[in-house]
Amino acid sequence: MTGSHLFKLPKLLILTGILLLATGCATTQNSETVGDNDPLEPANRVVFNVTETLDKHLIKPIAEQYVDTLPVPVRTSVTNFFNNLGYLNVILNDFLQGKIEQGITDMLRFTYNSTFGIAGLFDVSTPIGMPHNVEDFGQTLATWGVDQGSYLYLIAPTTTRDITDQVPSTLLNPFFYMQGLIFAPISALSAVNTRANLLEATKIRDEAALDPYSFTREAYLQQREFLIHDGEPPATGYDDIFGDASDAGNAGDDDESGMLIIE
Amino acid sequence: MILKLQHLLKTTTCISLTFFSCLLWAEIEQEQAIHAPVDELHASLLNIMENADTKSFQERYNTMEEVVVKHFNSPLIAKVILSRHWKTLNKQSQADFIDLFNRLTISTYVNRFDSFSGEVFSNLTIEQMKENRFMVKTEFMRTDDKPVSFNYIVQDDGAGWKIISVIANGINDLSLKRADYSAIIKEKDFAALVASLKEKISDLQPK
Repeated sequence: MTGSHLFKLPKLLILTGILLLATGCATTQNSETVGDNDPLEPANRVVFNVTETLDKHLIKPIAEQYVDTLPVPVRTSVTNFFNNLGYLNVILNDFLQGKIEQGITDMLRFTYNSTFGIAGLFDVSTPIGMPHNVEDFGQTLATWGVDQGSYLYLIAPTTTRDITDQVPSTLLNPFFYMQGLIFAPISALSAVNTRANLLEATKIRDEAALDPYSFTREAYLQQREFLIHDGEPPATGYDDIFGDASDAGNAGDDDESGMLIIE
Repeated sequence: MILKLQHLLKTTTCISLTFFSCLLWAEIEQEQAIHAPVDELHASLLNIMENADTKSFQERYNTMEEVVVKHFNSPLIAKVILSRHWKTLNKQSQADFIDLFNRLTISTYVNRFDSFSGEVFSNLTIEQMKENRFMVKTEFMRTDDKPVSFNYIVQDDGAGWKIISVIANGINDLSLKRADYSAIIKEKDFAALVASLKEKISDLQPK
């Protein structure tokens, strides 16, 4: 084992810890009240508030400056580059979910973009019918029947199931094995670029949300369901909010969970 | 005898064809009726987008108000969003909340759909959820970005088909608002929710 790999050992241990902790938390889901997906809300809210403050005063202004300074084609290439670096994780999860055809296409996509697309700077695959897919280990666990577990807010929204993706996505990212001084500036660029790509989404959230924490949690959990079902979640899932509604006539009683039953 | 049989066969075929034509026609008519509120909403959205530079906010608001009041089942939406808090309100407060919610919906549409560069709405499929409830699946096609999935739950409330939920890229507006609003009511009270909504409506107006 080289010196640089020894240096990264603590990071690996942390990732393994995340995996074990998350798996443990996910398996305790059955003991929780149905519908209660945020048992850690008080702690989550504290982290959310700290992150939001940091974002408002530091990260968001930098991201806005980044958007104002760099032209769209350059930012697109930066996004393409980081997407391509993380694409081995997408390929792995394609196969883990049994999506063989998509996995093969994604392998070709990665190869094309890494070579003809000059290290992924240009997405030469989408125009020829190999679109960018979004797969991760959280989605894989979901397809294997693992519950979402508890909602967590760390730097971004996640759940005890979805956070397990940190392990394969980190280990499969060539950037993780990069050595030397270049590691820090590229990490910073990746963070700023990610935040810049979220500026529009957070603007919409800030315009619409009364309680940004609840809004973010609900949007995240629903978006995950959308991704798990590849954009085609079962329509019946959207029916639950109406309770036993069979007629739009009169509002009836609430059940104990607060669900409005329309009779 | 053979002539009689041929006549019977012809009559039976005619009756069967008429029967199946009626069934098919009824199905097409129902599908059109289910689609109508969504189609009219989309037509109005394209209208305000195309006229964003020539019509005032208030004019575009009036265009959207007509379609939202007509095609959204706002009383049902308000009940579902407020959930258990709905029953704690008197009739007047419920009516006021429905009106406030409509104003927020209309203002949000006018604020967000404020430019046009060749976008189109494309109808995909219709999926039955319950006897009187369907999901209408559509896409908002953009010229410079990926399409946005817009799905609508429509329900026959006895007076026609109305939209009861909008789902954009998998995110159900109804669930989102219920979680958001209940957090405010839980932390503060209903009056604080009303005040916050009024502030949001004000923020959406042109400065």
